[in-house]
Amino acid sequence: MATLTDHDVPIGELLGDGGYPPIIPDPPGGGGEGDGDRHRPSRGNSRSAAVIGIFVMMCASTMTFSALVSAMVVRRGLNGMDWQRIELPSILWWNTAILLLSSVSLDIARRLLRKQKRREFNYFWTAGVLMGSWFLVGQVIAWYQLKEKGFWLAGNLNSAFFYVLTWAHAAHVIGALAAVLYVEYRALRFTLGPSGRTWVEVSAIFWHFLDLLWLALMALFVFWA
Amino acid sequence: MLSTEKRTIARQYFFLSLFAVVFGVALSILMRFHLVYPQTPVGWFEAIWPVKASGGIMTPELSLSLMTLHGTIMVFFVLTLAPLNAFGNLVLPEQLGSGRMAFPRLNMLSFWTVVLSFLLLLASFTCQDGGPLSGWTAYPPLSALGAIAGPGQGLGQTLWFFSIGVFCISATLSSINFIATVIELRAPGMTLMQMPLPCWNWFVTAILSLLSFPVLLAAGLLILLDRLAGTAFFLPTGGGSPLLWQHLFWFFGHPEVYIAILPGMGIVSHIISVFSGKPIFGYKAMVFATIAIAFLGLLVWGHHMFISGLSPYSAIAFSVLTMAIGAPSAVKTFNWLATLWGARLDLTTSLLFCLGFVSIFVTGGLSGLFLGQPQIDAYFHDTYFVVAHFHMIMGIAALFGIFAATFYWFPLMFGRKLNERLGKLHFYLTFVLAYATFLPMHFAGFAGNPRRYADFTTFEFLQPILPLQKGISHAAFTLAGVQVIFLLNLFLSLRRGPAIEWTGDTGTWQR
Repeated sequence: MATLTDHDVPIGELLGDGGYPPIIPDPPGGGGEGDGDRHRPSRGNSRSAAVIGIFVMMCASTMTFSALVSAMVVRRGLNGMDWQRIELPSILWWNTAILLLSSVSLDIARRLLRKQKRREFNYFWTAGVLMGSWFLVGQVIAWYQLKEKGFWLAGNLNSAFFYVLTWAHAAHVIGALAAVLYVEYRALRFTLGPSGRTWVEVSAIFWHFLDLLWLALMALFVFWA
Repeated sequence: MLSTEKRTIARQYFFLSLFAVVFGVALSILMRFHLVYPQTPVGWFEAIWPVKASGGIMTPELSLSLMTLHGTIMVFFVLTLAPLNAFGNLVLPEQLGSGRMAFPRLNMLSFWTVVLSFLLLLASFTCQDGGPLSGWTAYPPLSALGAIAGPGQGLGQTLWFFSIGVFCISATLSSINFIATVIELRAPGMTLMQMPLPCWNWFVTAILSLLSFPVLLAAGLLILLDRLAGTAFFLPTGGGSPLLWQHLFWFFGHPEVYIAILPGMGIVSHIISVFSGKPIFGYKAMVFATIAIAFLGLLVWGHHMFISGLSPYSAIAFSVLTMAIGAPSAVKTFNWLATLWGARLDLTTSLLFCLGFVSIFVTGGLSGLFLGQPQIDAYFHDTYFVVAHFHMIMGIAALFGIFAATFYWFPLMFGRKLNERLGKLHFYLTFVLAYATFLPMHFAGFAGNPRRYADFTTFEFLQPILPLQKGISHAAFTLAGVQVIFLLNLFLSLRRGPAIEWTGDTGTWQR
């Protein structure tokens, strides 16, 4: 089996400044797609393992959020009388929009890379990274605004759950942002080899997951809490 | 140190667990001593704890913090790490034919995360106002209040929660690794139903870990906010509910029992089959029984809460589901017996430990059928009957699985063999003394002896139990003492044990 770890020669540097280097093709022997499960020549392809890993990771995150949300649901069900509504800061809607846009942008970039369009990949990926970072800034503003209105951790369970859930989500976004920035760093140096493209796939999948998670949380806050 | 090689990581986990188990046993000895001789001064207690054991007599807080640390260390750092992470990392890649785990760096990261968690736990014990004393279940409201709740509830308890939170992260990371390895790195052509049984058990255990540890992490996050940021998720004064913690905790806590025991079942199945000289009886039934136990294990957390004001209707549901676990467990037991039936047994130490496992698993499992019924549990709850039950099934049975694996796979781990004669001596003494320690606890439970008391000698109704409890303590001291044989065997064999000879190209060694 061909070695599937980093063979990321910084070709960009080798070639000098003239033009964008071609993409190193995936090594043969189990690219993940189109392979028969039984008879593939070599198992243990690092990309498909990484994709499975990230899906398993998403299950774990889902369990954490399910626990937090069910705690909120159970608590409200215990005694609905003392459950105070909170006014959601309107910036949350902008944050939602920008998170969705960042996801779209990252996914366009991912598809462009498959078509070997590295320059366009860099544009869209950078846009995605910037929007993702802006989402975090927007969240901080939202927390600040909510705190200004007097909703903080103590004294109001609804807002306490709001902070816990949005913080947990933001922690996930920070983790995902680190991965996305790592891709960005390699993309700008044109060193996205096969393992780099694994990072692209995996971080994009996880980013979409964070979208879904955020939409679910917003639905919870708007319609239910 | 920062190795990403799976065998090195397996050894690291093995030695961490070994250290933890020695420490945990030492704590239990001190605790058992205090329980039956609370007023007997011991000079060196005072040397270790000048304030909390002044005059050589332990304070109740100290005794309870010893109990808490014993439980936490044993459950998390011994019973979770050794069967799954130490032997799983060692053997799973070999049995799958991959020779490596899917994510070696993640593997290294999860080991060092668990070391951090262990250090935090030890630090919690050295706090000025005492170590945490709320048991390994850490029920609020007391555990959510902070220092105001009494000694040991300050910084010590906070560090304890941080330790558990970090452990959850580590366990989640390693379960991701195990699941991805099983799905992706099986040898070409090996279907899931062709995997050796230990692989199935590690796989299912990893799935259980993945589903339960994130929930404990969420619960830990909430309770830390209660302690540090003034929220009231679990505090009735602020509108919270302490019962919420019990639901979240036991949603993790019950699967945790299976996280400890399932790898042992896989190991036992494998070793029994090897030394009986025949394939395991009912492979498919074993696989489905493993899956059934894990699935049902996720649905029965309520049986820990029968007397917490749970609705009787849900108690019936939890009870019926709990009883249902008896069915796949019986399937496993009968399959082990059927494999042994008529075989010319090669009675090696590891097979002896497997036979011991089956015996103790049945004993511990039967008392579970009592506790799983709400009416009977109303009496037995929080008595020594419960202590006897979980020490049998989760403690000793899982530990026998670990011993069996250690004797069987020691050559794979260190390239040398353990001494069989010392091993057999160790087994017979351990087996008898384990029963001598934990069987009488059932009787203490019948008599209504409550658990988690630092000192019960002053209660008149428990006076008749005192001789029994003294007997248990002495059996426990002897049980701990004979473990020296194992340690001796281990460290002598590491240096002088016979090196293994590999048999041709089959990847096995000559016994």
